Amino acid sequence: MGMRKVAIVGAGITKFVRRAQETGKELSWQASKMALDSCGITLDDVDMVTLGTAPDAFDGVHMKGEYLADGAGAHRKPYMRHYVGGGTGVFSPIHGWMHVASGMADICLVVAEEKMSSCHPHPQGAFLTIFDHTTEQPLKPTLIWIFALEMNRYMQTYGISKADIARVSVKNKHNALDHPSAQVAEEITVEDVLASETLCWPVNRLDISPASDGAAAVVLASERVARRLTDKPIWIDGVGMSIDSAYWATRDLSYPRYVETAARMAYDMAGIKEPAKEIHIAEPYDPFDYKELHHMEGLMLCPRGEAARLTAEGYTARDGNLPICPSGGALGVGNPIAATGLMKVIEIFLQLRGEAGKRQVPGKPTCGLAQAWGDLMQMGTVIVLRS
Amino acid sequence: MAITEKMTKTTTPTHWEGDIPVRFVYTYGLAGETFFRAIKDKGTFLATRCDACDVTFLPPKIYCDRCFEELDKFVDVGTIGHVDTFTVTFKNMDGSDKAKPRILAMIRIDGTDGGIIHYLEGISIEEVALGLPVKAIFKPKGQRKGGIEDIIGFGPVE
Repeated sequence: MGMRKVAIVGAGITKFVRRAQETGKELSWQASKMALDSCGITLDDVDMVTLGTAPDAFDGVHMKGEYLADGAGAHRKPYMRHYVGGGTGVFSPIHGWMHVASGMADICLVVAEEKMSSCHPHPQGAFLTIFDHTTEQPLKPTLIWIFALEMNRYMQTYGISKADIARVSVKNKHNALDHPSAQVAEEITVEDVLASETLCWPVNRLDISPASDGAAAVVLASERVARRLTDKPIWIDGVGMSIDSAYWATRDLSYPRYVETAARMAYDMAGIKEPAKEIHIAEPYDPFDYKELHHMEGLMLCPRGEAARLTAEGYTARDGNLPICPSGGALGVGNPIAATGLMKVIEIFLQLRGEAGKRQVPGKPTCGLAQAWGDLMQMGTVIVLRS
Repeated sequence: MAITEKMTKTTTPTHWEGDIPVRFVYTYGLAGETFFRAIKDKGTFLATRCDACDVTFLPPKIYCDRCFEELDKFVDVGTIGHVDTFTVTFKNMDGSDKAKPRILAMIRIDGTDGGIIHYLEGISIEEVALGLPVKAIFKPKGQRKGGIEDIIGFGPVE
């Protein structure tokens, strides 16, 4: 398509916590500085900056992109904020990729930030008004409603139990024990998940990721610059995005068709014909445990309805055939929305470099993907990386 | 309705009212914690300085936004500055007249590249001018809570 090759050459990430003393700007600076230092460049070397962050209502700052700009390293540089809800964090490097692939920038700093603790008493409050004001808001919906309806539909369609799904939470919280940024890493059992309080059946508390504060950043470079900066560039070989209608009641909730569409776009670009074989490692978005399974199927990493069985067999464990969320995911590391998606991209970056430390998966993976999902349960964002 | 027509009866369509019920809890941040603690406990302003970029940040930052280096040394820059620009507010939020017009100014604190937006106190509209020296007026120590409202305003330098 006449576009330049783009690599990730550096990454940084803060701790994910329930309430950070740092402001959103300070969190953004910590992650961005870490990313620049990791590849030995300074802010002077950065041509453009792009920042991903979810609703302004989380941080409680309207025009949050503008507010965060100087913390994200955008001082007197071309700068854009992007936002596709929960899909933002994986859209972030796609947005940066556009700047570099097009030739506009040789180095683009990509930052993702969220400070959800500002929203009081809980960020769920900000979700109350995302629903249609005529047909849904009068019913006083919460965000968990939709997940509960979708999870139930998914379970019934494929005959999957709550215990089958709980294994994802157990796996991810375990994996997160090895992640230095982790907020809710712990050894738990399927019984713990099933015994945690029911919030909105079939969703229990331990089926859900927490609200978090945190930031992450990556440095993207054109091929020429990337080869000068590092011996281990990780190439962005495919990107995909797809959005469905916000009127979620009109679609089949058992299968995220829009994730499949986004994945197909990324696979076509990366020349991937058989994703289940060619993708060695993946970080699908897991704000709820069943969503990891739902997304694995939408990404065509396994046949529909099979993800739960594969999880039970250990296929998706860190030492399994297809490690899924070896970082610990949103369920274990935490879920500062935009920063979570970029954390997942960073995990694939580190794994493909062989620099994931205690989290390193065996078998020297060379191709991985990260995926996020959001807006009003309608947005799929996918990125395919290769070493 | 053509684009040139003005809708005069906005209540004509059947409608209902709603709100977005969110509240917030903010933190000072690492720099803000130090800055406001100095206001509360000592009645003075702290700034951070980047020697490489020759910039003194007030309010302070823990990083230089030009070069991104960490700034961890806070310096006391005192509470005197000068009016960099000002405006006079005549109306309340609801459009009603203020009992007394107030002067809102951007005060450049001496020895810094930064400033504080605040009201002028004890300075009339006739007296105010760009470059006028001013000094922060703080609430009594016992009433200070660590916030921008610990400053009553900026007044004349005796």
